[in-house]
Amino acid sequence: MTSPDATHNRANWDRRSDEYQERNAAFIGRKDEPRWGMWQLPDSELGILGDVAGKDVLELGCGAAQWSILLGGRGARCVGLDNSARQLEHARRLMAAAGVEFPLVHASADEVPLSDSSFDVVFCDHGAMTFADPYRTVPEASRLLRPDGLLAFSHSTPLAMCCFDDEAETMQRRLLTPYFGMHRFDELPDEPVEFNLPYGEWIRLFREHGLRVEALVEVRPPEGAETTYRTAAETEWARSWPMEEIWRCRKTG
Amino acid sequence: MPEDGLTEHALRNQAAWSTWAEEYVPGAERNWARDEIAWGILKVPETEVQMLGEVAGKDVVELGCGTAYVSSWLARRGARVTGVDLTAEQLATARRMQAEHGLEFPLVRASAEAVPLPDASFDLAVSEYGASIWCDPDLWIAEASRLLRPGGELVFLVNGTFLMLTSPDIDPAQPAGTELLRPYFGMRRFEWVDDPSVDFHLGYGDWIRVLTSHGFEVEKLVELRNPGHDSGRYDMFTAEWAEQWPAEEMWKARKLA
Repeated sequence: MTSPDATHNRANWDRRSDEYQERNAAFIGRKDEPRWGMWQLPDSELGILGDVAGKDVLELGCGAAQWSILLGGRGARCVGLDNSARQLEHARRLMAAAGVEFPLVHASADEVPLSDSSFDVVFCDHGAMTFADPYRTVPEASRLLRPDGLLAFSHSTPLAMCCFDDEAETMQRRLLTPYFGMHRFDELPDEPVEFNLPYGEWIRLFREHGLRVEALVEVRPPEGAETTYRTAAETEWARSWPMEEIWRCRKTG
Repeated sequence: MPEDGLTEHALRNQAAWSTWAEEYVPGAERNWARDEIAWGILKVPETEVQMLGEVAGKDVVELGCGTAYVSSWLARRGARVTGVDLTAEQLATARRMQAEHGLEFPLVRASAEAVPLPDASFDLAVSEYGASIWCDPDLWIAEASRLLRPGGELVFLVNGTFLMLTSPDIDPAQPAGTELLRPYFGMRRFEWVDDPSVDFHLGYGDWIRVLTSHGFEVEKLVELRNPGHDSGRYDMFTAEWAEQWPAEEMWKARKLA
């Protein structure tokens, strides 16, 4: 059963997809090497995915599949999943332009129509781990991974969630929202519903589903780092406090 | 390296604690007289957070034991405990409590950054506001890893990361507000105005990095919350603050085989 949040977010992303790709596609579509997040820092610096050649890789919330196109070019067998049909149309367009083909799946990451233990890597970059309920996506990611498989995802930090000012729509140097009980964020009616959890609750959820925490990389953009996602003032905030982070977990036994 | 092999901050902290020890005597008396295990300033019961499991029959080392009340709780539950602390005055209080309560266990005067005990000799290492904040994380976590047997557990309590971002000062303590007063990146060594001591606090990602780099698997992070019915007064935060943000956090990690 599709959850009400998945339905809401599907409609929202179908509506925002064109504008999103117009604003960000060139920035996140660079082809030199895999890059993470709002400031596009190289995977080779952050040490998250490493060599993907020969691996079965699932991207949860692939958008226009910029990541999967790049990883496919490095020898990964990619599958891109997204909840928005419009995002997947952009993915097909970019795949055709790049002359590559791999499966795209139109589904919410909290209910993935793919087999157990069929991937070596499940990952997303500000994707489904933000826009779907982690109490559903973490068990799904674990189910889809083979033993020793890697779950890696970037998202906003819980600290950033506490410091985001809904009215001013920017970061403040102040705790504005309670941390305890953090889960579902739906304060902005025109935005997708987002999810996050306190750090301890993420760790508990990973371990409950057989995922060992290997690293939590808190991203610090270099001075003056460029982005199409944030204002210069927000990038400055992120130089002092982590605004995005990347979890790396290993499926056990 | 100064004489005795102690780090500069260990010597400073030893000197500071030798002058503070007397203030901690009433707390030692209260905690030694306590039956229930309760963690931190918020006194959250162990039954609620379940960090320890069964301790009977285990070899336990408390790193930075101070007056050794945590050790006393575990000794009464059948653990073979050893308390390690650098401050003679704190250990003197611990010895007096041992005599009063008829509960003897070894106390070793040493820094948790260099513990004169053999490798792989403990099943559990514990620290509540001990080595966990007064020692360099890479040094004491390395020692905990060395002292533990494969599969052994490390449980420690520290000030919450959110508290360390918002705390104006800790001595004299002023309650944390909501403003972020210092950067998260680079957070590690803290020194305070009019306070000779040095304490250490890491962010979430750094704790995970330090633990995994010294052969631990992270099992649990429990962020202690003021249960709400407690309107008690604390120095470092208000009851209301601690209902919303984590003032104290507890980590549990297991040494890999």
